[in-house]
Amino acid sequence: MVLIARKDLKLSAGKLAVQCAHAATSCVLAASKSEKRLLERWKNDNARKICLEIEDLSALQRLAGQAQAANLITHIVKDAGHTEIPSGTVTVLGIGPGPRRSIDALVQDLKPY
Amino acid sequence: MGLRSFIHSLTAPPFKHQNLTNEDVKMVLIVNSDLKMGKGKIAAQVGHAAVSLTLKCGKKAPGLLESWLASGQKKICVKGESAEHLLELETQASSNGLLTTKIFDAGHTQIPSGSLTVLALGPDLESHLSDITDDLKLL
Repeated sequence: MVLIARKDLKLSAGKLAVQCAHAATSCVLAASKSEKRLLERWKNDNARKICLEIEDLSALQRLAGQAQAANLITHIVKDAGHTEIPSGTVTVLGIGPGPRRSIDALVQDLKPY
Repeated sequence: MGLRSFIHSLTAPPFKHQNLTNEDVKMVLIVNSDLKMGKGKIAAQVGHAAVSLTLKCGKKAPGLLESWLASGQKKICVKGESAEHLLELETQASSNGLLTTKIFDAGHTQIPSGSLTVLALGPDLESHLSDITDDLKLL
């Protein structure tokens, strides 16, 4: 599973962590409905997660489109805006759990956050 | 809907919302600030904690999980001082009947293998959590 955060928002560590956690739980809940076997395999393999950064909103949306086209589970987190940023801001894109090869193909150019 | 789930929906007892008081249900994630982890590392560790606690809660307290999901999965990320501090908080939390999860890192990257990185509590009513987490600072 990869969690892709927008670097242009300059979130604090705690905020970033919470947003990624949102993305991770939502992806897992989606997987528990549609991809049970994949989810089991991912859990047994230490529930691998990586946090990557992306420049801005449009790059994130483009990537989300590509991931959906590749039939991967995706989830986009929008912040409720109680604290640091305005309500409805897209913060993190979660992709997976999915086969390593198809995810790597999408995100190989991104840097770790 | 499959046949089995159709029959289940007819015969299962009605779903009871445990959250009758309209109080906030939230999850608290306590990060070990003793370890000097990068932001992305912290995010991934907190993600681990949230996922495994959600799955645990789905088995042990589905009612709470439902009301937590329905109220927008509130999560709060705070700082703990050290691994000992986190363990202390965990004992306190489980004696109060809260669900807890500890995350130990596999140590592929920034920190030694087996370090306790995150303790997660909840999801539970704010009043149940506040005794334990009130003194902790936001990360």
